[in-house]
Amino acid sequence: MRVAILCSSPYSETGCAVSARLAQLGYVPVGALTLPSWDRSTLLRKLGQWGLRDSLHYAIAKLAPGKSTLRKQVLNPYLERALRHGDGVFRGLREVARTYGFPVVTCGDQNSPRAVAQLKQWSPDLAIFTGGNILRDQVLKVPRLGILNSHLALLPEIRGMSSPEWSLLCGVPLGITIHFMDSGIDTGPILLRREFAGAADCDSLADLRNRMIAEGIELIAEAVAGLDRGTIAPVPQAGREKDCQFFVMHEQLKAVATRRLKEGRLNSVAGRSDG
Amino acid sequence: MSGRFERTQTQMNSPESSSSRNFMATRTVRALNEAAGLLRAPQRVVQLFSKLASDELRTTFEHRHLYSYAAATIPVADALRSVVDWILHAQRPDGGIAAYYSLLTGYSELYPEVTGYIIPTLYDFGRLTGDPTARHAAERATHWLLSLQMPSGAFPGGLRGPDSDAQPSVFNTGQILQGLVRAFVETHTETRNAEILERAVAAGDWLAAIQQADGSWTGHAAYQGAAHTYYSMVSWALAQLAAESSDPRHAAAADRNIDWVLAHVQPSGWIDGINLRGHPAYLHFIAYAIQGTLECGILRRRDDVIQAAAKPAWVLLRKFETHKRLLGTYEPDFRGGQRFSCLTGNAQMSCVWLRLFEVTGDLRYLNAALKMNEMLKHLLPIKGRRGVVGGVAGSYPIWGAYQPMRFISWGCKFLADALMLEQRLTREFEAKFEASGCA
Repeated sequence: MRVAILCSSPYSETGCAVSARLAQLGYVPVGALTLPSWDRSTLLRKLGQWGLRDSLHYAIAKLAPGKSTLRKQVLNPYLERALRHGDGVFRGLREVARTYGFPVVTCGDQNSPRAVAQLKQWSPDLAIFTGGNILRDQVLKVPRLGILNSHLALLPEIRGMSSPEWSLLCGVPLGITIHFMDSGIDTGPILLRREFAGAADCDSLADLRNRMIAEGIELIAEAVAGLDRGTIAPVPQAGREKDCQFFVMHEQLKAVATRRLKEGRLNSVAGRSDG
Repeated sequence: MSGRFERTQTQMNSPESSSSRNFMATRTVRALNEAAGLLRAPQRVVQLFSKLASDELRTTFEHRHLYSYAAATIPVADALRSVVDWILHAQRPDGGIAAYYSLLTGYSELYPEVTGYIIPTLYDFGRLTGDPTARHAAERATHWLLSLQMPSGAFPGGLRGPDSDAQPSVFNTGQILQGLVRAFVETHTETRNAEILERAVAAGDWLAAIQQADGSWTGHAAYQGAAHTYYSMVSWALAQLAAESSDPRHAAAADRNIDWVLAHVQPSGWIDGINLRGHPAYLHFIAYAIQGTLECGILRRRDDVIQAAAKPAWVLLRKFETHKRLLGTYEPDFRGGQRFSCLTGNAQMSCVWLRLFEVTGDLRYLNAALKMNEMLKHLLPIKGRRGVVGGVAGSYPIWGAYQPMRFISWGCKFLADALMLEQRLTREFEAKFEASGCA
């Protein structure tokens, strides 16, 4: 199985963890296509997401490789298993690539002709999307089987942004869906759909997201192996006529979702597992 | 607020017969008149350039992140107080409220239409805060409006100044009717109560009498003589009146017009028939059409009407969430438009989304409205002189096409409404969450 990785930044922990995890399982990527690390909008977005202190901390960790304590630090502690390498952790995609021997190509836009040409050159059976642009048709149709995405909610109930938070507020069980991407927002055929059981241990929405991202990576690995062995097949999403798209959640509603999480008011539906 | 249009168009320029050259000449004369305002009060130059500079800086350096709602820091209560203070400062001793404060010419003449539909806002604020000033202001506004009513029951269009004409206006009568109905409800223990209802019924009777068989309003009392779907606001007022008067004619007139509006809803959600010749479809008017339809549907308990209003409201919600802004104008079927922001239209859409949240329980409406309110609070001037501080500009940036260089009273009204709705609905939502454990 020839697998390519699409990444939002060479320093994306999720991108690194997916690449490393697949390589550990024997699916060494044929290449990784990443957006640049320091464009203005990403920087502002990260500042907004992480705050100044964490962003500075992260930047120092990237720029100060001599300090062993920082070398070992990862923002998402649940990715440590996938990112651990010897006595340190992978700090970037290029380190993973050097270790496992695959190329990393930077592009300004994952939909650009250059990016499409590069993907075609790698001729992947499958690509894994770990972040970046909204993908257009010309990219979506390059990998033979398609492009996989790990969505942090059960589909088709909750599509779009802030999906764990919306699951909490709308009374939909927390879950992860591995699906093929199409031109809609999280509307592609489903490979795996699994309820997330670890929410009771979470103390914040950030913690919840981190755990779900880590579990999503395991599910990606499971999906790749399943596709390779031919044991799973995509199932088109039901109920697409209903508009289930959600958007970035306002902080005031996030506060309610956090309370719900802390109070352990979680929905669970038996039998919500692999799709 | 169409009255401002109506006055400038009908007094200075007959829209049905005017050539585009005349129209341009009229606009140029108006612009020169406004600019001359600075000669009469040169101290306004400072605030004018200060606002121009701040909007230029914002649009240059902050534009993409203008709607980064998480950054807004003004508490809702403070913003609300500030906006209502702007309205109170714009009220003259006789009770009428100025249409706008221009950075060039200062306060405008009084505006009956907006004075009318600000009355419910003032009563709501008085109830929310216990502030007697707002209630007193609403009473004075009502008293002033009653003095303007024509023998036919209609109210005049346009602004009230020394050269005011007295042409009856369907839209303005409907908007004022909203205020009269609310004043009646609020003064049920007072002696003037019966008179207010009588006057409101007279206005409603006039509206019903001149309504066309198809449910629209056309002719001399309609803007440009044509039918407009944003007159759904008039249906809303008639539905409010019907609830108090129990007169089936008022309810029937509201239903007839709203049925006519529904016939103009396109598959895209676009409501055709805004029909403003010589002007683009500003978001303000699109939002009027939606808001009037929605509120009428709620009052008349008609799910088909609510669904029809929800359709364009959802289209605009998706646009706002995706692009982090709404355009100042839209082409038919929401295909594009001018890139400035019509802040009044934004505040109206916030009201629409909040009401849809209240009706449907769909949290996505509340989410979008919270973001919109953050953005509008972010743009409120917190410093400056009277007329500026707490004011809602016609456009962002201030030189945008809708009411340029002005802080407008109806913008303040809709933002105050949106903030009060936000306060009430978020409190109710959190209380429900606490009580039931299920959002």
